[in-house]
This record gives sequence, C-alpha cells and structure tokens, in this order.
Amino acid sequence: MPETWPYLETHQTRDHEPTPYETKLARTLEDIFTKDGHGLSDVIDGLNSRQLRTPTGEPWTEESFRAEMHRLGA
Amino acid sequence: MTLSTRDTADHIYAHGLRNQWHPVVPSHFVEPGGMRKVTALGENWLLFRKADGGLSMLADRCPHRGAPLSLGKHLGDRVACWYHGVEVDGTGTVTSVPGLPGCNLEGKTLVTSLPVREVGGAILAYFGDEEHPDPVELTLPGPLADEEISAFLCYAEWEVPWRFAMENLLDPMHGAFLHSESHTMFAGDTTAKFRIRETERGYFFEKTDQRGVNFDWVELCHTGVDWVDLSIPYPPSAGPGGPFGIVGMACPVDAGRTGVFFWRYRRVSDWQRDTWRFLYKTLIEARHWEVLEQDRVILESMPADADQRENLYQHDLGVVRLRRLYQAQAGRQSKAQPVSAR
Repeated sequence: MPETWPYLETHQTRDHEPTPYETKLARTLEDIFTKDGHGLSDVIDGLNSRQLRTPTGEPWTEESFRAEMHRLGA
Repeated sequence: MTLSTRDTADHIYAHGLRNQWHPVVPSHFVEPGGMRKVTALGENWLLFRKADGGLSMLADRCPHRGAPLSLGKHLGDRVACWYHGVEVDGTGTVTSVPGLPGCNLEGKTLVTSLPVREVGGAILAYFGDEEHPDPVELTLPGPLADEEISAFLCYAEWEVPWRFAMENLLDPMHGAFLHSESHTMFAGDTTAKFRIRETERGYFFEKTDQRGVNFDWVELCHTGVDWVDLSIPYPPSAGPGGPFGIVGMACPVDAGRTGVFFWRYRRVSDWQRDTWRFLYKTLIEARHWEVLEQDRVILESMPADADQRENLYQHDLGVVRLRRLYQAQAGRQSKAQPVSAR
C-alpha cells in the first residue's frame, strides 16, 4: 500500500467539479441571500429578476427550485 | 499487546491517551474488500473490511514472526501474512498456518483487535491498554446523532503533536487574529474576558462579553471519546439556518502527527438544508479549507518546545486546564516508575 500521508484535500464533499451552471447558480444564490433576504420567495424572485433560468430555460418556481436543490444538495 | 501500562506518562502524553475511543480515519479510506495501514497512538494498525462492509482493526504485526500484516493478502474474511502465509481473521485469531497444518498457533487469538464503530463517516476505535481491553461506553456527539442537523466531515493530516491541535480548539481567541481575514471570523472585538464553566461532561471555555459574533465559546466533552463543540456565525451569503457548528476530534497518530476531524454542521431542514449543502459543496467548502489551513500553518510552525517556554495570560485558562487534565490522565495510565524514582 502506498504511503499517503499527509491527506490535505480541499474538496472532500463533491462528487464532481461544479459545472458552469452550478457555479453561476451558487454565486447568484449568495448574492440574493446577501442583498434580498433568506426567504424562499426572496430566492425565487431574486433568481427570476436576475434573468437566471432553470436548466430547461424556464423561470424558477418554488417547486422547481426545491427539486433542483434536492438534486444538487441532498 | 501493543498499548502497555509500562509506558511512561510522558510517552502516553506524547502519543495519545488510552482507554477511550479515538477517531482513526474517514470510513471511505477503507473500501469494502480493502485494507489500510494506519498509525495511531504511536503504533501501527491494520484496518480491514470484508466485502459485506464489516470492519476490523488489528495490530499490524503477524503473531508468527512480527511481519506487518498490512503487507499481506486480503482473503475476504482473513489476512494472510506475506512472509509465511499465516492467516489471521478479523478478531485476531490465527485460522491457519499453511506451512504446518495443525500447528498449535491455530485457533489462538494472538493479535490485538480493537473495537471499532463508524460514526458520521469516520472510523472510531477503542484504544484500551492491557488492563482495560473492554471498551468504555461511547456517547455520540449530539450534533452527529441529531436528524435535524446536517453535517459534513472534513479530515486533514497535520505535522503537529495531537495536544497542540486540541489546545488550538480550547483557545477561541485565536479566531479574531489568525482568522481575521476569513469568511466567518472577521467580526467582533479583539479583546475579551473568558471564564470556565463546568458541565457534566467537561467544561465550557467562553467569552463573558460576546457571543454569536466570532469563535466565542467552546465546550470540551468527554463522552467515551474526547470532542469539542463550537459555533461560528455565517455571513448572510450562506443563507438561512443560522450559524454553523463544529464537532472536532483529533487522532493522535504519533508524537509529531495528528489526524484532525471536523464535522461542520448546521441545523437546517427541507430546501434550506439542500441549499446549504449545495452551496457548501460548490463554494463554501473551499473557504472553510482556507481557514483550516491557517491553523495548520501556524501550528506546524510552532517549535517543538512551544509549550515549555511560554508566558501565558488570562486567555489561556482553557489550554492550561486541558493540559492538567491530560497530564493527570497520562499519569494514571502509566505504571512505569519515573527514571528519577528508581
């Protein structure tokens, strides 16, 4: 068995490198949380007013946002 | 036996306290059907997992001639030593001596095996000495057992004595200086008064005049395993859910190396939980890592005699108490006569 010491891995929770879409979505959410608020309606309004669309090109709804966060973050 | 009461108190203090549970490595370091050599408390061990997930931890020493079992072959439910093929199962019992069938080693339990548990993605083992082989009761840290709390484990290996890593956690004031340029610990006063508050399982070391702004309190807990609990505010960008907490543990690898285990946790549910976890994996984990690296850099830069030549002040009460506790424990775990007493 190879010597592996020391283990110093920055990313230990990802199963893949974030896609450009995921990175943009995450940065936009941080911007919304900083400027607009922490409520679910703040998030949906914030995403839509910033012209960010779902992966299928639709405006966000509470349902599609919950489903997407569950897919990406569960 | 590998951990002996004949070791000196100094040796035990330097290499890790016995008769309690310690974390060893993350669970995923040992795949089903795999094995991994690890060092803990200054001794070499073999972690060995069957295909069905069952995990064993053995002293890494063939009972025949002492060759490392970790160089041997994984035979599913046993390990065969590379040197002469002696087979040892997960309980440390010799199941076969292929060179001399019927040899009286067969059927004897000759290899130390440690009780193991897997908790929150980490392997914990009970390191008893020869007088305390049966595991003490293990009460899991609340945040790791609470279904309302979401946690991620971060594991890192540092070139520091284990006690330096623990002392760093009982020293909250470093947050306002070492981590002043970080995403979480930029706020709050750089002066503080601290107090110690006893609990049933350990003690709090906390600021008397500020809470919820920086790294303002820490609780040391002895619940069969030693761990700390602490809380640090997130900036608004991290979204709903309030501060994040840390459950911290340390594995004493040897006198100069430590495995550190930090579970970052947050009390969140539903879409808030999923959103935090998404942000964590995508953006926040790297920022937490930067902060952890600040700790590693300063601790690895400390001279070996750092704790011998100090001038402590009021902020160091938590550290002083920790040292006294651990030194007293090391003394109780040693039956060796100090050199001067012989």
